[in-house]
Amino acid sequence: MSDAAHDPFEDAFHRAAERHERAWVFVAVTLLTLLLVGTMFFVVFDYGVVVRTDSFRADPAALPAAPAGLVQTGPGAYSVQMTGHLWAWTPSPLHVPQGATVTFHVTSTDVLHGFQIQGTTVNVTAVPGITGSATYRFAHPGTYNIICNEFCGIEHQAMLGRIVVEPATP
Amino acid sequence: MSASVAGPIRLPTVRDLASERRVMLAFLIWGFSALMVGAAIGPLQALNYGGIDAYPWLRPVLQSYYQGLTVHGVLNAYVFTFFITCGLLVYLPVRELGLAPNMLLWRACFATMAIGTVLLLVAMFDNSSSVLWTFYPPLKGSPLFYGGMSLVVVGSLFPLPILLELRARWKARRPGELTPLVTYMSTVTMLMWLLAAGGAIIELLVQLLPWSLGWRDTVDPIVGRTLFWWTGHPIVYFWLMPAYVSWYGLLSKQIGGKLVSDPMARLTFALLLVFSLPVGSHHQFTDPGFSPVWRGILTALTLSVALPSLITAFTIGLSLEYAGRRRGGRGLFGWFVALPWRDPSVAAQVLAMLTFIWGGAGGIVNGSWQLDNLIHNTTWIPGHFHITVGTASAMTFMGVAFWMLPHLTGRRLLSRRLSLAAVWLWFVGMSVFALGMHWAGLHGVPRRAWVSFLPHAVYERVYGAAHLPLTLVAIGGVVLWAATACFYVVFLGSLFTRRLDRPEPIPFAQAFGGSESFAIMEGEPVGIVAHKQLSPLARALEHMGALTALTVLATAAAYIPIFWPFLHNVTRAPGWVVW
Repeated sequence: MSDAAHDPFEDAFHRAAERHERAWVFVAVTLLTLLLVGTMFFVVFDYGVVVRTDSFRADPAALPAAPAGLVQTGPGAYSVQMTGHLWAWTPSPLHVPQGATVTFHVTSTDVLHGFQIQGTTVNVTAVPGITGSATYRFAHPGTYNIICNEFCGIEHQAMLGRIVVEPATP
Repeated sequence: MSASVAGPIRLPTVRDLASERRVMLAFLIWGFSALMVGAAIGPLQALNYGGIDAYPWLRPVLQSYYQGLTVHGVLNAYVFTFFITCGLLVYLPVRELGLAPNMLLWRACFATMAIGTVLLLVAMFDNSSSVLWTFYPPLKGSPLFYGGMSLVVVGSLFPLPILLELRARWKARRPGELTPLVTYMSTVTMLMWLLAAGGAIIELLVQLLPWSLGWRDTVDPIVGRTLFWWTGHPIVYFWLMPAYVSWYGLLSKQIGGKLVSDPMARLTFALLLVFSLPVGSHHQFTDPGFSPVWRGILTALTLSVALPSLITAFTIGLSLEYAGRRRGGRGLFGWFVALPWRDPSVAAQVLAMLTFIWGGAGGIVNGSWQLDNLIHNTTWIPGHFHITVGTASAMTFMGVAFWMLPHLTGRRLLSRRLSLAAVWLWFVGMSVFALGMHWAGLHGVPRRAWVSFLPHAVYERVYGAAHLPLTLVAIGGVVLWAATACFYVVFLGSLFTRRLDRPEPIPFAQAFGGSESFAIMEGEPVGIVAHKQLSPLARALEHMGALTALTVLATAAAYIPIFWPFLHNVTRAPGWVVW
């Protein structure tokens, strides 16, 4: 096909394409900007989902001294040192009162694990040598499964734990 | 034909062409053989999620789900894709430019990656390295595994110097002209991969190989993980961009149309080069250790990388429409129906694109910081990448194989119908599988977990709510087995069919406003050549060095703040062999 041979269909199509192309790029950029604004709004509005860094340590096996189990830090506020190790979560089962806002300080003493509470936004990588934290408010009573979601060896699938949210006494 | 040609052109001889075809065929066969093994294992993992544990019957070949998953991931994600890409992205530019490449380097590329593959196979099948394709330390594989992986990664960089030299030779002869499109796209892809591979190469050669050889006792897990994702995110574009090369550079010709915009193709590749590099740590949204501020910036950058794919959706969609209307398609969707669906290569690539729409949309969820918390490391993630790399890329490569095998061997394709069956089964199987995986992920089912090995009561208690989606996963896997079987009957059978009367040409597309190539292959012109009127955009994007420098700066700016706290708080973790 030589360049000289002009084809009216191709020319018309080309002109329409160029017009729509600009509109499409504009729509795409606007869409992505709105998505960014949306996701950042929710993150800032709900800062508890953000994984924060508590501390580093050189020896993964040397856990920082911390009280075992659930510790009350304020009215309705609790914290817990949650440790992943081959192949269990400590402490588990964890009993939490309904309505409690719990900050999980998550780490690992051996390999990578993933601390996920099924049905919640809590999802923190348990990194050997780093403690990270995330916060969640347990509004409803019931039993939540802790699931390891980072491959950690042959018993990875069995690295399950439980959080029991006790109903508030009237 | 342009008059600006300086000096005589040495056209490739018949012997040159034959040896290039042989090397390309070797890449194709090695790559698809890796996929054959990897894909044969895949459905076992799908059955696992459906609650069916097939592994006890597979001993002693496979000891566990995790060993099988390691083989599946490494062969499919690295070996298959690298071989196809390192073949294709040299062979197509060579033909487009009509120049002979540095064959020694290209053969060395093959040999290096092939030796690497053999080492990996030994290390995976003896169960010494069931560390999955992400090989996160402090899980400790064998030196053969890390050595093999290093060879595969280093080997995959060899096409870059071949391409840069080809392009320089071409430009010297045709000053002031734009690099032909396929060569442009291929070179930008390899430049992106050079910068991307840095993370994996440092992780393998500085951290993991010395550690696995016993020269060092400990390793820093978070540094390894961050180095991995420096490569691990852009690698998805190293899987995707070669598919885009086919969609932009070839497909329009195969469907009897033209590419509607050559400058937009170039812009897409330039944007992918710049944006794919600095965003790797969005895989670490849930990791502690670096500031939330950088996570916000990563979110913005990650959404930016969707732009080139949205441009692609427009440009390729319009090119399909142009061809469809030329073929007599009418109305809102008539053009889509009018595409040559009987051609398995076209069907494979158009279905790959359809799947990629969902893949891209899911990717935006993954990249959105807030939403990622819900689906990070659930089955949503493998669901996502099986319809991106596992379909958009893999099925495009299959589509390429359908014309390329006859082109390389001079033999006819074994069966058009069986090829179409393979493609449609793959499309349906992967769609059902991915629907189930995404859905199950929303129920919190973790990725890569041997859930079928759990006591049945525990499986029911924890994952019972996801029963329907997990059943879909298993069904999708079984359909994929059938797809794989059909494809390999065609692929292997086509190596032994009777000879074609005349050679199958490479379907280089022509762009709107573009003329055909000067390059000659067996007496016929091929390829896209520079525009008559040079687009200012395309001309600006010719400066690949500047684009690369910009990418280096952006990557350094993104990674220095992330690595900073890690370098000041070193962890010394011993290795674990626990599978």
